[in-house]
Amino acid sequence: MSALLERLAELGGVQHEFKGMTSVTVPKRAVLDALRAARADGLEMLTDIHGMDYLTYPGHTGKRFAVIYNVHDVAGRRRLFIRVDLDDGETLPTATGLWSGASFLERETFDMMGVVFDGHPDLRKLLTPEDLEGHPHRKDFPLGETPTLFGDGRFLDPASFRAGLSGRDQGLTGWKGGARDGVVASQTPKAPGTAQRPEKSGS
Amino acid sequence: MSKGTVVKHDTELGAFDTQHMRINVGPQHPSTHGVLRLVVDLDGERIVSLRPHVGYLHTGFEKTMENRTYQQGVTYSNRMDYVNGFAHDLAYILGVEKLIGARVPERAQRVRVILTELNRIASHLVFFGTTLLDMGALTPFFYTMREREVLQDIFESVSGVRMNYGYYRAGGLYRDVPEGFEEHVRGFLDSFPRYIDQYKTLWMENDILLARTKGVAVLTREQAIDLCLTGPSARASGVELDYRKGQPYSGYDDYDFHVPVYTEGDIWARLAVRMDEMVESAYIVRQALDRLEPGPIIDPDRRISLPPRRELENSMEAVIFHFKLVTEGFHPPRGEVYVPTESARGELGYYIVSDGGSMPYRVKVRAPSLANLQSLEPSSKGGLFADMVINIASFDPVLGDVDK
Repeated sequence: MSALLERLAELGGVQHEFKGMTSVTVPKRAVLDALRAARADGLEMLTDIHGMDYLTYPGHTGKRFAVIYNVHDVAGRRRLFIRVDLDDGETLPTATGLWSGASFLERETFDMMGVVFDGHPDLRKLLTPEDLEGHPHRKDFPLGETPTLFGDGRFLDPASFRAGLSGRDQGLTGWKGGARDGVVASQTPKAPGTAQRPEKSGS
Repeated sequence: MSKGTVVKHDTELGAFDTQHMRINVGPQHPSTHGVLRLVVDLDGERIVSLRPHVGYLHTGFEKTMENRTYQQGVTYSNRMDYVNGFAHDLAYILGVEKLIGARVPERAQRVRVILTELNRIASHLVFFGTTLLDMGALTPFFYTMREREVLQDIFESVSGVRMNYGYYRAGGLYRDVPEGFEEHVRGFLDSFPRYIDQYKTLWMENDILLARTKGVAVLTREQAIDLCLTGPSARASGVELDYRKGQPYSGYDDYDFHVPVYTEGDIWARLAVRMDEMVESAYIVRQALDRLEPGPIIDPDRRISLPPRRELENSMEAVIFHFKLVTEGFHPPRGEVYVPTESARGELGYYIVSDGGSMPYRVKVRAPSLANLQSLEPSSKGGLFADMVINIASFDPVLGDVDK
């Protein structure tokens, strides 16, 4: 593994460790070389290719998207995540030349995240209907929920209600469960996320 | 509907042209094991090309889980693979536990192993019933459903439902197993070897089955690796990958079992691997039952698990923790985790990204059935159309697992 990590560092890879998982971020041009190097080192199997959209990730400064290749050896003991950072509109070379099984995985990534893989023999949508516009796993894809109506014209907007719970906002009470990093316990509580119902237009 | 390449024939009876016939299979057909559509090009009865069309069951579970708390995620995970729900629950929960660093008590680990392995047996029983049904044998379906019924009763007694269990919790289990659970499982284990013997005599040594499966739809080891095939189907082609051995989770390294591997790569091997796996699973369950000691079933850390019901009556603090966990849930630290597990179909793992909030920022399910479906064309090509039907079944796809 260390020889492989050196080789990936030569290709411009940056290594991260988290809870025993090793991932290496490589530049876009080196992705196929990195996959070849991994395969030559015994990480012969490709398990998954998937996209990430960091649009609303708090404190994220780099490129918006990332594509993650999940490779491992045949015994299932060693695993490596090879990551590529991408901006919207950037394309990646296809890995179907290395593993023909990459075909469906790339189609799924294209369908869900809108990442285009150059040279893919049959890059069509995989899971969503053909007439669906957009890529559902992008963070700006609308969820299509209906606000809940209460008395006196108050309504609860699901998205802002959840934002309160998710930690991206201070939430209903400001309580963070104690296990969250970087959160000061003495945050001021905030009133529930209610809003006035918008005026009907055109009546 | 026919369309395709013109093939020229020059026989002693004279020269003539034929065309490949394109036919549509599914999406609604019993032999496709769910809503799977195949577009097959045929030259006579031989398959020239086969393209699967999936997505009819796409429900957007991953996106939904990104908008629910970590604990609510268990409601969705088992709905993907409805035949093998405990495996999905376990894969998801292991990811969450890795994020929050939960310490799962030993009893919970043992119960998880018992239920997950019993579910693997139940899933393989469905596999055998439906595969042999596709081959034209009706009786095996009733045999396997009879055994599965006992397992379903066990799952029902434990989780309250016969499908979509949602029994695992981050840090342990929802509640302890009911009284009589051990006897119930032991009763099944005692009767199961006799059934396995029956199956082996009735099916695996059956001339018709051998004629239809031996040497049919062969997939070599190189092909299996190239096609990202995992699970029992890959082990039938000689890929010795099993995460219970490779990266043991839930204490699988404690148990003595071996991983059946066949090198033939044909449909018969894919059946035989699963038959042997049922025996091994039953053996693991027996070991886990023998070592099942009384004890706590959930991590007592108040930040992740609900306080016991009795404390709510006399402790204000417990009420506060209860309220907070129910309304908001816990907040794992930032990070990205993936725990590979071995489901009845192959490698199953949840790639979970936390942004420090109480809902996952991103959940990506590595579902085995989707990747496994790609092996259908290379193995069916050049074979008979009638064999393709068994071949679909032999990869054991669950379309909920494919479409997510």
